[in-house]
Amino acid sequence: MGTLTIPLSRIEGHAQVVIAFSGSTVLSAHFQATELRGFEFFVQGAPADQLPVIVPRICGVCSTAHHIAAVKALEHAYGVTPPERAVRIRELMMLGQLIQNQATSVFLFTMPDLPGATGLPSVFHFGAENADLAPKALQVRRAGTDLITGAGGQFIHPVRATVGGVTSGISREVAVALRAQLRDALPLAQELFERYWELFIGLKDRIGTLGDDEPTYYLASVEQGHAYYGDTIRVLAPDGHEDAVFPGCDYRLYLDEVPIETSYADGTLYKGQPMRANSLARLNMLPVLGTPIADEYMARFRAEWGYPAHAILLFDLARGIELVYCLERAIELLDDDLTSDPLRVAHAPRDGEGCGVVEAPRGPLIHHYVIEDGLVRRAKFVIPTQHNVFAIERALMVAARRYITEAGISPELERAVGRVVRAFDPCIACATH
Amino acid sequence: MAANFAVLQLSGCAGCEVSLLNATDWIGRRRLDYMPLVLSSEDLPEVDTLLVSGAVRTDEDLYRLRKAAGRAKEVVAVGTCAISGGVANLGDRDEVRALFFAEMERRHVPRILPKLRPVDAVVTPTLYLPGCPPTPELFMAALFEREGFQAGKTVCIECGRTKMRQRPATLQGFQQAVVDPEICLINQGYLCVGSSTRGGCRAPCTRAGHPCVGCRGPSDGFIARSSEEWFQAIQKVFARMTDIPPDDIARAVRSPQLALFVFQFADYAARPRDVGKVL
Repeated sequence: MGTLTIPLSRIEGHAQVVIAFSGSTVLSAHFQATELRGFEFFVQGAPADQLPVIVPRICGVCSTAHHIAAVKALEHAYGVTPPERAVRIRELMMLGQLIQNQATSVFLFTMPDLPGATGLPSVFHFGAENADLAPKALQVRRAGTDLITGAGGQFIHPVRATVGGVTSGISREVAVALRAQLRDALPLAQELFERYWELFIGLKDRIGTLGDDEPTYYLASVEQGHAYYGDTIRVLAPDGHEDAVFPGCDYRLYLDEVPIETSYADGTLYKGQPMRANSLARLNMLPVLGTPIADEYMARFRAEWGYPAHAILLFDLARGIELVYCLERAIELLDDDLTSDPLRVAHAPRDGEGCGVVEAPRGPLIHHYVIEDGLVRRAKFVIPTQHNVFAIERALMVAARRYITEAGISPELERAVGRVVRAFDPCIACATH
Repeated sequence: MAANFAVLQLSGCAGCEVSLLNATDWIGRRRLDYMPLVLSSEDLPEVDTLLVSGAVRTDEDLYRLRKAAGRAKEVVAVGTCAISGGVANLGDRDEVRALFFAEMERRHVPRILPKLRPVDAVVTPTLYLPGCPPTPELFMAALFEREGFQAGKTVCIECGRTKMRQRPATLQGFQQAVVDPEICLINQGYLCVGSSTRGGCRAPCTRAGHPCVGCRGPSDGFIARSSEEWFQAIQKVFARMTDIPPDDIARAVRSPQLALFVFQFADYAARPRDVGKVL
């Protein structure tokens, strides 16, 4: 029996893939998260009202999602409903989160996999004729981080969401500047995405597959016109019908969290089956997105790959479409009044239990707290990457079987493993927390 | 050939790396040779500058740090976790650690060390970049123009809120009341520690209406002193500006959650750190 340990890069955090095989028979393929800080343990005893500052530190990539999920969980526990305008500002923070993440994942993490016979080490390695690519990609990404700064106070570990609303509004002046910046980023994002799409087809033709395409359950908390603010979670069955709709707080009735002996990240199962969250899950649930340019891409995507689409590399294209959608949607929302009262309602903290859900870049993120004497008694973080753990392992098996054959181990295996994992854009700091 | 650099991420949140990606002016001026977040490479080559983020939490972190430092002309400790252990330091509280080791036993993954360590418990950095995360400007200064770089003095100076005569009598939690947009947060009863927190961030949190939690660590005057002296300085500010019972402030600044930021540098007074090494 042989074992291959394949380190991973161009994902957030520390993880590796371990494939065991005997001759040409693949025995197992495991995705191992190899870091742990222990947030669920050490927030016990923390003053509950400090969680929106502490828990963003679970992840510097996804800090906005954790910040808002924490505030929503406290609001649920305290029985507070924030005013509409505050929700709008939080949605803008989430759109910034998505723009930043999708631009990073599409252009910095996965685009280097596409060109030539072997791909490239990074976006900074595209040759002279593509020298504009990295700066443009970073400019698009920057539009996302600046949106988080404008809406959330700072672009990593933002602070503006607070129980009952937001601490302050977005001034007209800032909103106008952000709109201008997003308007500049939109055509750049389209141009880069067109180049991405062309290279993507090139990769598909070279390797002859888009990876594991077995119909699967999909999980997301989206509806048309959404801004990744979450609440209600939906499950799509492999054949495309809606299998379940439930409030985020009922997650334990639908999702089974399974510890994995060889990883610091647990996985989740639905009806004992693997499921998928992240971009493809969301696009499979929405007939149209509701903004003009993104919907043109949606039509093209559906015409090419049908509905629901299942091949895993399509997650990458789906993230590109979402990038365009988020830029368009943020430009729309920034036109609203974001300064006048009410931005916040009064509340009285109380003990109890609360859940907060947002649709983070990788899927539904659930924070669940039990509060006693104003302190956190118990905290549970159900992380989107966990929803994908078993789907990743299944897709790794498909890739391993394709590239470990009677003829030996193909050098393509390692690249395929990288592509499979990056298709799910896992976040290990989050998954292990 | 331009001097090269590498980014080694230990146990942390990648926020430091995300901040570095917002500083784009290094492209074409210094060569990035290792940064697993955005670059696939077999191993860490010889580098001029090694930026280390995150804390030493696992045996793998320790091994990778030692190995990488041996290939670098200099090591720069980047961000709160690398400097003081950061948020993961909370895992070292006795009552938490018991849970931690009881519930997270796993096989074939790196072992969790009994005590979390900052980077300078293992190697000697030439420079510290404070912040959770450090600002993009700090990365640029570290990579290009260290000499003569002037860090902002305190968050308080950069905040711009107006100090008033009003003296609150009770301490607000972080999330409890409406925030006046113009008035100093201490005057409103919030536990803001911006008066002694290192500046340079342009006070984004307090400007947005959230009290400073001290994520950039102490200002110059407190770096080489004990954390107790820093706590007392914060208490004095509240005694001068408010009628909040001193015990409430003393307890609040020592709550582990706030202290995790406030502890930076100062907690390591036993191993003095050179103020001149902190950007």
